[in-house]
Amino acid sequence: MKNILSSETMNIPDGVSIKVHAKVIEVEGPRGSLVRDFKHLNLDFDLITDDNGKRKLKIDAWFGSRKTSAAIRTALSHVENLITGVTKGYRYKMRFVYAHFPINASITNNNKSIEIRNFLGEKKVRKVDMLEGVSVLRSEKVKDEVVLDGNDIELVSRSCALINQKCHVKNKDIRKFLDGIYVSEKGTILVDE
Amino acid sequence: MPFKRFVEIGRVALINYGKDYGRLVVIVDVIDQTRALVDAPDMVRSQINFKRLSLTDIKVDIKRVPKKKDLVKAMEDADVKNKWEKSSWGRKLIVKKRRASLNDFDRFKLMLAKIKRAAVVRQELAKLKKTA
Repeated sequence: MKNILSSETMNIPDGVSIKVHAKVIEVEGPRGSLVRDFKHLNLDFDLITDDNGKRKLKIDAWFGSRKTSAAIRTALSHVENLITGVTKGYRYKMRFVYAHFPINASITNNNKSIEIRNFLGEKKVRKVDMLEGVSVLRSEKVKDEVVLDGNDIELVSRSCALINQKCHVKNKDIRKFLDGIYVSEKGTILVDE
Repeated sequence: MPFKRFVEIGRVALINYGKDYGRLVVIVDVIDQTRALVDAPDMVRSQINFKRLSLTDIKVDIKRVPKKKDLVKAMEDADVKNKWEKSSWGRKLIVKKRRASLNDFDRFKLMLAKIKRAAVVRQELAKLKKTA
């Protein structure tokens, strides 16, 4: 059945400025700005100030089916991710896992791409370019770790996926050959206690 | 950007399709997701699809399904007729009706008036062009 109105609101913290126009949301904060386009959703985005004077983002779905009502909360989550990306940033850590052949990785192109050699002893050199706004570093102090930093969670996590997928094992029992580069930690750059 | 005119009890609407085209009615009850019960001082209370209604800015203060007397009184208190005829939407509809009801002589008089007005405007424009 169609719900006449389903709506949800979220608080906007101080320190970020949000602009909403025609389902395109632009968030600006201390770490930069991010833009996301929600034109594929059939929702109304509204910036309101409620009774206490706090700024909120309200999303409405008029006469929505189950799926469109479900999309309200996911759109809010996407905006929340934009906000934390622009205030705290995202830091994903990946560990090299190998049994016999040490994975040799070098960061090139001023922290924008990574070259992986000697994966499972193969001669093939794997090169992965990071997506826009994402930087990759070799972690000091921790052996065999690589850290990806960025503002946009979609781009950071996709870059991690690209690195992971380049190091899949082929033609072997993957339960035994567990080599690869795996995401070990998903967190933010600025950690508040 | 958000919606300002809502379907609610007491909302004045204009019928935009069907036998009662152009009639101002008050939404008196909501039947289901598609239909409402509407009422006006000069018609029998009946059901109508929301798609046949265009909502206006005017609201009347009534309870659900009031008696005809109460509805008429509430409409007087809210001054619906005057508000409607003063609003730009209402005025446009009155003008349309007048234009549709002109007879041939009226249209002739209208043509002469338009020509006269255009002549005055063109004179002023020529004066402005000369000084520019």
